[in-house]
Amino acid sequence: MRTERWTVWLAWSLLAVGALAFLAPVGWMVSTSFKEESKVATARPVWIPDPPVLDNYRSLGEKIEEAPFGRWLLNSALVSTSVVVLVLLICALTAYPLARMRFPGRDALFFLILATMMLPSQATLIPNFLTVQALGWFDTYAALIIPGLAGPFGVFLLRQFMMTIPRELEEAAIVDGCGPWRTWAQLILPLSRPALATLAVLTFLGAWNDFMWPLVVTNSLEMRTVPIGIMIFQGRYTTQYGLLMASALVASAPVILAFLLLQRFVIRGIVLTGLKG
Amino acid sequence: MGSGAEGSAGWADRGAWRDLAPAVPFLIPYLVLFTVFLVWPLAHGFYLSLHDWHLLEPRKTFVGLANYAGILRDDLFLQALGNTALYVALAVPLGNLVSLLIAIGLNARVRGETLFKLAFYLPTVLSVAVVAILWRWLYSTEFGLINHYLAPLGRLVAGDAWRPIPWLANPSWAMPSIVFASVWWGAGGGMLIYLAGLRAVPESFYEAAVVDGAGPWRRFWSITWPLLKPTTLFNVVVGLIGAFQVFGQVLIMTNGGPNNHTLTLVLYMYRTGFSLFKMGYGCAVAYAIFLVVLVVTVAQFKLLPYRDEMG
Repeated sequence: MRTERWTVWLAWSLLAVGALAFLAPVGWMVSTSFKEESKVATARPVWIPDPPVLDNYRSLGEKIEEAPFGRWLLNSALVSTSVVVLVLLICALTAYPLARMRFPGRDALFFLILATMMLPSQATLIPNFLTVQALGWFDTYAALIIPGLAGPFGVFLLRQFMMTIPRELEEAAIVDGCGPWRTWAQLILPLSRPALATLAVLTFLGAWNDFMWPLVVTNSLEMRTVPIGIMIFQGRYTTQYGLLMASALVASAPVILAFLLLQRFVIRGIVLTGLKG
Repeated sequence: MGSGAEGSAGWADRGAWRDLAPAVPFLIPYLVLFTVFLVWPLAHGFYLSLHDWHLLEPRKTFVGLANYAGILRDDLFLQALGNTALYVALAVPLGNLVSLLIAIGLNARVRGETLFKLAFYLPTVLSVAVVAILWRWLYSTEFGLINHYLAPLGRLVAGDAWRPIPWLANPSWAMPSIVFASVWWGAGGGMLIYLAGLRAVPESFYEAAVVDGAGPWRRFWSITWPLLKPTTLFNVVVGLIGAFQVFGQVLIMTNGGPNNHTLTLVLYMYRTGFSLFKMGYGCAVAYAIFLVVLVVTVAQFKLLPYRDEMG
């Protein structure tokens, strides 16, 4: 096809303008967070802080009484990593027979799990809150970690991937005397590494950013996760935007880093399944 | 979908039940979670929706469908429904348009494609709380970046009568402002899916069209757009389900204000359940939302009959 050079040029210029516009809010967040509180609100936008200061980040660490930011980060890190590990394990277990075994009701079961992907999550919010309360998990890590493991996304993603593993490999393993557990652990899991990596990144982003569920099942300041924490922060320091932007940036640093380092897994996962974690 | 590596096992197969034994231990952990936290709450929620029950009181009174009848007469619910419909009607088409435009640009095989993708997708990895707090600052009336950059334009149009717009405090502007922030937040996902759709269009189609003398505009409308329909349907359905659940943005940016102009369905359900503790009524509201989403989703499939290539 004849490539019209001017179209490529036009596309590039428009994309560059668009990309700058998309990055501008994040840039403004970074810029504001390094400003002295007195220089945050100015008559004209000042993009480069003069002088750049760490005051806001320092105060984040000092407001322990009303906003234990370190504890929130710890909670989020603990919850997110636990969710990632457990989701990978549980979903990889379930996906294997759904993809590779024959048993009665297999397709019906998979369809049932798939159907719940369409379910708006707030349909289960109140009853799940009551279940968590009845189990005595309210305001605990169990409440933050365990109910979220029921999400069907990982089962779907891994099942689809495992279907593509050549059958001959599995047959060879069975001929060599491997039972289902050894086949799973020594053949299927290693071969599923790309899908597991994708699932791990998407699950981490989802767990770190989760908002409504942690909001509902925790209530002590010590058990809040970062997104809820910065909302509380926002309620307390409504217009201290330097401080608020610093808190938002600290809250986002782990996901931005994870995304930039592992972006190919994220992009592949979105394209493969069309869904966000 | 559903066509396994081999045919599905029939119930009548002799020995089929024996095949279940090796599968069960693999399935058990997930199925326990699935039952307790996805299947049971659906049944439990419906049961509760038939009751009048305040969380802090032990007594549940069976009221049949009275909660659902109440919803239809509940002005606040109806207002929330209208607000949510407005949000969906603005956010889904606008979001898809932005995603598609970026994807078309990227599909021209431009230099630095990966960097562009990262830039456009970056907002999507942020928490809704971060997005909401950041945009509250951008929308700030006196010192917000948006009013800063709008001011020259505003003075050009309105002269000295120009006043900074109180985006989130103005009843007409509040919802569109939340839509705009949400589109910024979510356009990256749709962009990636559109780009995959665009890359799947065979190059030979375009070559043939060029030979026939079709210009870029014509090529888009006769080749790209029809072939992208399954992709569009997918993005619209996923976008609708997400948009009907809009919650974090409104909770943090406006808390439903001004004067309930940004009160959405899920925010209303949240308040019913967790501020007023009316659990039965809250469950009925949740089911009503579920029903609305279901009806709209099914309608989409009927309107755009392209089911293939869906997950």
